[in-house]
Amino acid sequence: MFLRNTWYVAATSADVQDKPLGRTICGESMVFFRGDGGKVSALEDFCPHRGAPLSLGKVCNGKLVCGYHGLEMGCDGKTVAMPGQRVRGFPAIRSFAVVERYGFIWVWPGDVTLADEGTMPVFEFFDNPAWAYGGGLYHIKCNYQLMIDNLMDLTHETYVHASSIGQKEIDEVPCTTKVEGDHVITSRFMENISAPPFWQMALRGNHLADDVPVDRWQICHFTPPSHVMIEVGVAHAGKGGYHAPDHTKAYSVVVDFITPETETSILYFWGMARKFQPQNAELTASIREGQGKIFAEDLEILESQQRNLSKYPERNLLMLNIDAGGVQSRRVIARLLAQENSGITA
Amino acid sequence: MSDNLNAGLDTPVGSDGVFTLALVKSGLRLTVGPDQTALQVLEAAGIDVPMSCGQGICGTCLTRVVGGVPDHRDMYLSGEEQDANDQFTPCCSRSQTAVLMLDL
Repeated sequence: MFLRNTWYVAATSADVQDKPLGRTICGESMVFFRGDGGKVSALEDFCPHRGAPLSLGKVCNGKLVCGYHGLEMGCDGKTVAMPGQRVRGFPAIRSFAVVERYGFIWVWPGDVTLADEGTMPVFEFFDNPAWAYGGGLYHIKCNYQLMIDNLMDLTHETYVHASSIGQKEIDEVPCTTKVEGDHVITSRFMENISAPPFWQMALRGNHLADDVPVDRWQICHFTPPSHVMIEVGVAHAGKGGYHAPDHTKAYSVVVDFITPETETSILYFWGMARKFQPQNAELTASIREGQGKIFAEDLEILESQQRNLSKYPERNLLMLNIDAGGVQSRRVIARLLAQENSGITA
Repeated sequence: MSDNLNAGLDTPVGSDGVFTLALVKSGLRLTVGPDQTALQVLEAAGIDVPMSCGQGICGTCLTRVVGGVPDHRDMYLSGEEQDANDQFTPCCSRSQTAVLMLDL
């Protein structure tokens, strides 16, 4: 079950340039392409002629041309032309609401008449010269809620990411979880510890000593439908931790846009926005590479976990103290799903 | 053209929607019932009419009308072409007159 009347990241702006892109979002096969003026459209990925995916075609003069028999599809889902054929009576295909913002293409997979740009999430770190951003996309064969669970409980870092961001203090310092409406926040603050390798690299990136004790923080923010922003960082110990001045810390936000593809697969747009040395493109590249390697370590766990859960769907799982963030996020999703399915709009 | 074949070209179709196809080449008169299409009746009589979409979109079955007034229900012909009443799509269109005379 997916929340449908909401915005999901479907692609990066760079993913959709001169060619159409086929993506499945919440079970809907969609084709994304740039029509007249470069504006992105999203349509059903289904040629009304013979059902071929339009994403196998090409874009010519702002029209999406089917790769099978040359049907020309317009941005609104209405056929514009077809060789040797009049098209007035062709039934329109479904079109989806799309917004391009922050370097991403956002789609509303539900009722297009309810699509509201005003409900788009707002992020201070995009299009902001004080911040730099780098990220990537992983296609993971697991339910989207397993990815949210993963990101709302960072104790797994100690085991899954032992050589980069994991450290025993994560296990030793309990987290606290609070719920503010639809917003779930799980926080952990560790004091006077050594920085693990990834954070040593980040400290050096901000021209800070990497071999002195640090205070480290992790503040995970879940917001619907499936965005997880994690404030992370280290500051030289005793400088104020999370509140330390910028020049004594390396502070970032792990950006996670989790887009359900099917019940057992996701498009995982991961990235890191950092508030230090934003002009340093080399640093952006090395952080991106490091983060990409770290997040690839989650892939095997999540896909294997999904295979187990699919094999034994009746098994009850334990929800322990470390799982409070994931549990509360699931409760928010369940409440909103019930609202959406009963026809009440927020 | 016999008088018999011309009969009914000016008479409005009845409320039951039943109309007659008068075929000038074969001389056949065929009745189209309320739940039948003209194309079905032509095919049943062994008249070969090319067809494809069956819903007035593609224009494959376009047939010349030589008498009577079609009730156009297709999306293929333009408004002007429909108003000319000299062709129709037997897959979905019907007749405004009790008899529709076709060049078949």
